[in-house]
Amino acid sequence: MQEIKQQIEQCIEALGQGGLTEADLRAVLDALDETKPKRQNLLYLQTGGTSVGSGAHGCTMVVDGQITEPPDQDNWPYNSPIEAMRDGWRIVEFPNMALLMDESRTYGLGCEFILEKWE
Amino acid sequence: MQTYDCEPTLTDQQIIEFCKYGYLMLEEVVPDEINKRVIAFCDAYPEGIPNGYLKEAWFVDQVLCNAPAAGAVRSLLGRDFGLPLSISNHRVHCPRTINGGWHRDYGSQQVPKVNYLQLFYYPQATPLEMGPTELLPGSHYLSMPSHFMRHLDAIADAHKTAAPAGSIFITVYSIWHRASTATAAGIRNLIKYTYWRTAAPTRDWVIDPAFRLENADFATGSPEPRRDWSRVCHDAARMYLWLRGELDNYEWIGGLAWPATATAAQAKGFCPGLPADLA
Repeated sequence: MQEIKQQIEQCIEALGQGGLTEADLRAVLDALDETKPKRQNLLYLQTGGTSVGSGAHGCTMVVDGQITEPPDQDNWPYNSPIEAMRDGWRIVEFPNMALLMDESRTYGLGCEFILEKWE
Repeated sequence: MQTYDCEPTLTDQQIIEFCKYGYLMLEEVVPDEINKRVIAFCDAYPEGIPNGYLKEAWFVDQVLCNAPAAGAVRSLLGRDFGLPLSISNHRVHCPRTINGGWHRDYGSQQVPKVNYLQLFYYPQATPLEMGPTELLPGSHYLSMPSHFMRHLDAIADAHKTAAPAGSIFITVYSIWHRASTATAAGIRNLIKYTYWRTAAPTRDWVIDPAFRLENADFATGSPEPRRDWSRVCHDAARMYLWLRGELDNYEWIGGLAWPATATAAQAKGFCPGLPADLA
């Protein structure tokens, strides 16, 4: 997108100097065609606690529109939400505390963070 | 329903291990000639519910009433347990990729009741490359409907039941499980069936005279990331005492009381939390 902005700035400059050509504008159109729309990647991390530093014991990833199975735990891309945040992931949902109020029962895998990254 | 009886084979501590983890693996218990016969039968009748097996005496004798498996079932379900009413074959053409897929089977209820057991039988060798069933040990205590599990994928302490031909594993019906990715080529059969309780629960298994309830180990070997450690012990104790028919005598007082830990007090003959009727 930054590259296209630069091309348009060059077109404006060329227009001001009276040198704008059809080819200049078509080059911008071609660049727009090549621009891949960003996709939302998702990272689900199930953790042992509500802190973003809690260790993960479950992991699901959706990358480039595909659900991908993470490798063995030793090779998971992130071991806690905060590790993912440091790599540019943004938390979009924190563990839902309303589901954890009955301590006599354990619901699912416990605390779950959902993170996203647009690429 | 056809019933079967035999001698129980599990001890108290083995029963407790089953309560803790929710499954028991019995490797290479079915003879190889029977495995080959089952595979040939599967090839001839590749449908998902090949109930023709139930009419085959050799299959009933060697698989459904297989001595090690039936002895374990007898220990958990009591005498004259009911034989399967139906059989299913999870027959898979490998390779295949699995994402997600965690579930509990239809009709799952929360333990501690064990009124039926689910058995899985691999007639062929099923290494990791052939996509064995993956279980989450201890998950029979985790409440969650299957349709809320659909987004779950890799789970750290899950266990893939890779096993040699002729292996049978027994599970609590409500354990979380899924198929796993298979990278090799070939056909994998997985025969699955359910046994039924007909007798009231009671302590009718192998009694080890040295077994002492106050010293029984209800803790899992590694930390359970999803549940409080003392609750892990409590849940397993509830299931074990239900199997003994003595759950009504138990009230969990919490803390580090029995069944959570063997405290120093126990060494002095005082075991807080241990029901007096059971000591």
